[in-house]
Amino acid sequence: MTNLSASLTRRNFLRAFGASTAMVTLASCGGNSSSEPADGGEGTGDAAATGAQEISVCLATEPDTLDPALNSAVDGATMIVHLFAGLSKWEKDGEKYVIAPDCATELPEPVDNGDGTSTYTYTLRDGLKWSDGKDLTAKDFEFAMKRASSADLAADYAYLYEIVNGYSEDGSSEVNIQATDDKTLQITVDTVVPYWNELLAFPTFFPVREDVVSNEGWATDPSTYVSNGAYTMTGWDHNSVITVEKNANFYDADEITMDKINFYLSDDANNMLSNFQNGDWQLIDDVPTNEIASLKEQYPDEFVVAGQIGTYYVGWNVNVDILPASAGLSGVEAENARAEIRNAIGLLFDRNYIVEQIAQGGQVPASSFVSMGLTEPDGSEFYKNAGHNDGYVGYYDVSADALQSNYDKAVETLKKYYTFDEASGTFTDVPALTYLYNTSEGHKAIGEYLASAVGQVGITMNLENQEWNTFLNTRKAGDYTVARNGWLCDYNDPISMLDMWVTNSGNNDCQFGKGDHADVAAYSIDLTDLGYDTKVDGGTWADTYDVIIDTIKSESDNDKRFALMHKAEDLLMSTGAICPLYFYTDLYMISNKVKGFFSIPLGYKFFHYTTVEA
Amino acid sequence: MDSKTLRYIVKRIILAVVTLWAVITITFFVMKAVPGDPFASEKAVTPAAKAVLEAKYGLDKPLFEQYLNYLDGAVHFDFGPSLKQRGRMVTDIILDGMQTSAKLGLIALLIATVAGVLMGSTAALKRNSIFDRIIMVITTAFVSMPSFIMGTLLLMLFSITLHLVPANGAAQGGMILPVVTLALYPMSYITRLTRSSMLDVLGQDYIRTAKAKGVSQRGIILHHALKNSLAPVITYFGPELAYIVTGSLVVEQIFAVPGIGRAFVNSITGRDYTLIMGTTVVLASLIVIMNLVSDIMYKVVDPRINLE
Repeated sequence: MTNLSASLTRRNFLRAFGASTAMVTLASCGGNSSSEPADGGEGTGDAAATGAQEISVCLATEPDTLDPALNSAVDGATMIVHLFAGLSKWEKDGEKYVIAPDCATELPEPVDNGDGTSTYTYTLRDGLKWSDGKDLTAKDFEFAMKRASSADLAADYAYLYEIVNGYSEDGSSEVNIQATDDKTLQITVDTVVPYWNELLAFPTFFPVREDVVSNEGWATDPSTYVSNGAYTMTGWDHNSVITVEKNANFYDADEITMDKINFYLSDDANNMLSNFQNGDWQLIDDVPTNEIASLKEQYPDEFVVAGQIGTYYVGWNVNVDILPASAGLSGVEAENARAEIRNAIGLLFDRNYIVEQIAQGGQVPASSFVSMGLTEPDGSEFYKNAGHNDGYVGYYDVSADALQSNYDKAVETLKKYYTFDEASGTFTDVPALTYLYNTSEGHKAIGEYLASAVGQVGITMNLENQEWNTFLNTRKAGDYTVARNGWLCDYNDPISMLDMWVTNSGNNDCQFGKGDHADVAAYSIDLTDLGYDTKVDGGTWADTYDVIIDTIKSESDNDKRFALMHKAEDLLMSTGAICPLYFYTDLYMISNKVKGFFSIPLGYKFFHYTTVEA
Repeated sequence: MDSKTLRYIVKRIILAVVTLWAVITITFFVMKAVPGDPFASEKAVTPAAKAVLEAKYGLDKPLFEQYLNYLDGAVHFDFGPSLKQRGRMVTDIILDGMQTSAKLGLIALLIATVAGVLMGSTAALKRNSIFDRIIMVITTAFVSMPSFIMGTLLLMLFSITLHLVPANGAAQGGMILPVVTLALYPMSYITRLTRSSMLDVLGQDYIRTAKAKGVSQRGIILHHALKNSLAPVITYFGPELAYIVTGSLVVEQIFAVPGIGRAFVNSITGRDYTLIMGTTVVLASLIVIMNLVSDIMYKVVDPRINLE
């Protein structure tokens, strides 16, 4: 999903689940803060009197929706995991984040049906109830999942059901999910994937009740909002605050320590900071970019840099010719030359400088597209196994030491295609490039750095910014040469990043396999070493990359899947069209009076088990 | 009311309707011409899903038909559903925001007008006194300071440093700073306007006549000077309201006040077409109506004005 970066207020969500990735931990201990008692704003009197726990936080502005099936934002997901309970849930186990059964009594392995499909059979806990006291049954799950995956609802995340048997994008068939009785739910899938249990903890898979959602506006008003989670919505003052309180009907209510959560709604990082500083809010999920450095010093315990699964990168439009007219190359040769040039230009950037001096949020320099935080079946980091074992992690060396050698290598390569003026040390005939980014100070600063870096070798890079929605449109349409890009994962599996580059993907901003590139037969793949009879020499993007991704999606053997995903990334990176800069982090501030808090690299924040010290 | 005035009012009302129609039409087509759409996000929506959504909201119809449908709805005050906030009607969102914004705007308007007239007339009556000078210095400062700077300063001082009021406009007492921020500029402007107008009036022959006739100082000020010096203040009412409406866009942002200004800004960046149109129509109507009222009041206060 999205990419967002510091400047966008509503983060589109889903980030991948982070599994066992080590992440900085949040709830810090001890320390004093100058802030006032926690009861901010209104209505805290009663709570204080009875000793009830209350916390005020601000994640983002008004969510577009709190319907679990329709939500596609991280902040919305955080509220929804408080309001709803799915078959599974995220838990913190020591320093790890694990998936545990929630409404289901356990998370069983699937049973192979012998026809290529497999079926999961879930048994619901006893006594599950909705917040209005009615019984929750497996039928509710069946209804909710069919609704969320239906073409009629047109939910952003309906595609997460693509591995479920019967799923169709256009609504021609229905997912194979059946409640065989009130407590048993069967889900049949076409492919067994390792991240299935994580998907069940994703809002798109949460239950909703048919009679509740038949009112289209149900999720916009506390009086019609019926949920089944640890909390129930008691107030929604639009654009101001959403209040949730402990749900007495929740099966695990005794374990929930926080009685009331006020989710304040603001899209202004400066305003959030003011409220944090004066003690009204105990957690804010955004900070003003230009304050990061001073906040880190001022609030060493309360300023948190957490892991997040996503990559900030520069994307090239493969259909824009960057060769000089004199090159005289065409077809495959020209494409190979462009790939070499793009890769060389990628070597000119000092990613450590970008991370330390510009982004300043603890980001990690990236040398591969698939993000840090995504793990292999053996638990190791995928990105550490990326590349070609050249003595560094990834596809090029991004250590500070390699700066000069990268530069030399880049110049050497570029000399093959462009005229180099030894006296000035610059190239004289590289066509001027335009770097497109969405309007934001942070992206602009990075763009300026990139322009200055290529400027050193005589390449002119002009900067152009567009407002967010326009930018999305321009980039998707391929009306650009080089553009800022970024991606936050949907789930803990590299395919969530790799499948966006197939020819017909709606996120194929680099235009692989589109336009002129459709006919460029410059790619080769060889999957025979993994036991497939696929070997293509000099194929188009559709013949190669699309084929690997299809193979991955229909493969249930996990080791093979990961081997295939490395091959896919190798091919992708060989084009030079993706120039990774850094892996994202999640910045937020939390008062050190808050105990028991945790967040996961997907960005969800959990207040269930928190307490706020007086 | 004489027939001339009546004719004038009718004419103005017709003009107001035409103005609104023009605003709706221009906004509608410009909005549609801007690249992007309400269903765009970094994660691409599938073509099938996009088609379903477009059909649901009538965005698959020819542009002109959409325009006619919109006009038809707007005449009946039906602005349709929000395209981004699924399940909410634009009318509800606007009413929600208006309650807050109206409170903010009206209190600011009241404070600005009352305080401005009082300070302005006092300054004029005590011309060249220390009081006059202090008022002039302060109001000059406030008139020249943009509201985003004023708002930020007040926020830092009263909320973060002194902890006197919350920084969040939605919290209890949170409206104080936004109201003050919003009121300072028009208050200062009105002060200066009243002062110069009052000085002008005080120099008029009829004031001297009244004095000669032995009317008390108080009587002169209340019955002669004040009323006549208010004419410019009343004409300023239209621009003042426009300032408050547009100023609230900034102020609501700084203090996170959940008003219509924020809804408006967010609707544009999100391409929430129906909400853009709804808020535009409401804000434009407000300004058109208030300008109309202000022109008519001008006539009431100063019968010498020739409305034609």
